[in-house]
Amino acid sequence: MSGMNMYLDPGSGSYLLQLLIAGLLGGLLLLRMYWAKVKGFFRKLFGKQVDEEPE
Amino acid sequence: MKSRSKAAREGASFRDPSGFVFYHEGAPFRQINQFYRDDYRQLMDSGLYQSLIAEKLLVAHEEVDLPAPVPQLAYQIIRPEPVDFIAYPFEWCFSQLKDAALLTLKVQDLALQHEMSLKDASAFNVQFQHGRPVLIDSLSFERLKAGEPWIAYRQFCQHFLAPLALMSERDVRLGQWSRLSVDGVPLDLASRLLPWHSRLSFPLQIHIHLHARAQRRYAGEVVTERRGGRAMSTQALLGLTSSLRGAVRGLTWKAAGTAWADYGETHSYSQGALRAKRGIVEEFLARTGAKQVWDLGANTGDFSRLASERGALTIAFDYDPGAVELNYRRVRAESETMILPLVQDLTNPSSGVGWANRERLSLLQRGPADAVMALALIHHLAIANNVPLVQVASFLADLGRWLIVEFVPKQDPQVSRLLANREDIFPFYDREGFERDFAAHYHIHETRPLPDSDRLVYLMEALPR
Repeated sequence: MSGMNMYLDPGSGSYLLQLLIAGLLGGLLLLRMYWAKVKGFFRKLFGKQVDEEPE
Repeated sequence: MKSRSKAAREGASFRDPSGFVFYHEGAPFRQINQFYRDDYRQLMDSGLYQSLIAEKLLVAHEEVDLPAPVPQLAYQIIRPEPVDFIAYPFEWCFSQLKDAALLTLKVQDLALQHEMSLKDASAFNVQFQHGRPVLIDSLSFERLKAGEPWIAYRQFCQHFLAPLALMSERDVRLGQWSRLSVDGVPLDLASRLLPWHSRLSFPLQIHIHLHARAQRRYAGEVVTERRGGRAMSTQALLGLTSSLRGAVRGLTWKAAGTAWADYGETHSYSQGALRAKRGIVEEFLARTGAKQVWDLGANTGDFSRLASERGALTIAFDYDPGAVELNYRRVRAESETMILPLVQDLTNPSSGVGWANRERLSLLQRGPADAVMALALIHHLAIANNVPLVQVASFLADLGRWLIVEFVPKQDPQVSRLLANREDIFPFYDREGFERDFAAHYHIHETRPLPDSDRLVYLMEALPR
C-alpha cells in the first residue's frame, strides 16, 4: 500500500480482490453505460419519455 | 444524560486521526487536525463539498473561530449543522439501511468525480435528517491515490451489503446483528448464513462469497508483495460502486407477514372510538406544546402524525420491523420531514455499545423527549412482559416530561387474548391499580374514556425527578 495515512486496515483480502477483478468491474461499467444508451435510443424512437433510473 | 460540558469530546469520535467531534455549550463542533489539512482543502476547493450540499448528501458546516480543544494538532474548527435525533443502523428498518447504502455509493461516485474517495463507509456515519439519509462525517474524504483500490470496500460490505443481503434473502431480524458488532457483519459469517441461491446472484457471489474467501486466503499477507504491479483505475473504482449499487438495488424485502405490519391501528376500535381517540390525543398534544415527541409502540405511525403534523419532531418507535418499514415508506412517499420511524424493543431498549460503552448511546441517553405517547402499549409491557405497572411508570417518566397514555383493561379483547393461555397473575391490573402506580411518578392532569370501550386516555406530567 502506498498511502500511509490509511486509518482503517482495508484488509488484505478486500484489497487484493479489488485488484484482481478491477478489469472486470471497469468493463462491466462500460457495458452498462452502452446498454443504457441503446435503451435510451429505442425509448426515444418509440416516443417514450426517457426515465432516469431512480437513485 | 451524559455531561456535555465545555469542550467535552464525543464518545464515538476517536478512530480517525483527521479530527474529532466535541461539544461546546451543548452544540457539536469538529476539530480538523493538521494531519487532514490537504484532504480538507481538496474537499472544499474542488467543488465536491458544494456538490454534496447542493444534492443534500452531506450535512453542511461553517468554519468558525473557536479555541481548539487540542491546539497542537488543530488546523480548523468547523460547526456542522446539528442532527435532530441520532439513531443507529440497528434501529433502522430494511429500506432505511438500503437508502443509507445508496447514499454512501452516491457520495463515493461524486467524490471520485472530484479526485477524492471515501476513506470509510460506516453505516454509523449516516443519519436521517428531515426524512432523508445524510452523511454526517465531513472528514470521510481523502484525495484519490492513483492505482489504489477502495479502502472502505470491506467496511461497505460489512456495514451495508451483508446485513441487507441477510435481511432480504434470509430473515429481516438479522438486521439486529449490528447491535452485537459495531463493525458490521463479518463476511465469512454472512457467507455461511446466506442461502445457497445467493451464490447465483453475480454481485453477491463477488462481494460477499468470493470476498469472504479472499479474506481467508490472503489473511495476514503483505499486499505489496502480492499485488504484482496491478492497479485500480478510476474506471474500475466507478465500476465497483456501480456493481455494489446493482447489488443493493437488487435486494428487496416485503413487509408483509410480520406480527403487526398488516394489523392496522383501527383493528380493535369502532370508528367512533377511533375518531374520539384522535381528538383527545390532538388536544393533549396541544396542551403539552411539545417540540419533540416519542411515540412508543407507534405501529405504522397514524397517531405519530398527529404530533409531526403539529410541527413536533416525532420519533415513531415500534418493535416490529414490518411496521417501521411501512411507516418509513410512507415518510418517503409523502416527503415528510418531521417523523422518524425506528425499530425499538422497549422490553430491551438500545443500550450503550462500542468502546467503553460510550460509542453509541443508549435510548435513555438520547432523551428526554418533551412528550411521550404510549397508546395501546401498556398491556404489552405489564402483561405480556410481566413488568409491574409502577416500573412501567418510572421508565416512561425517565423518557420525557409529558405522557399521553392509554389504559387497556382486562376485559378488553386485546388483553383477554394475552391472558387466554396463561394464568392471570395480575390482580392489580385495573384502573385503580394503574392510577395509583402512575401517581407515584406523575401528576395526572386529565382522564378521558373512549366511547364503545372500557379504555381510558390520560394526560400526565412527570413529578420533578
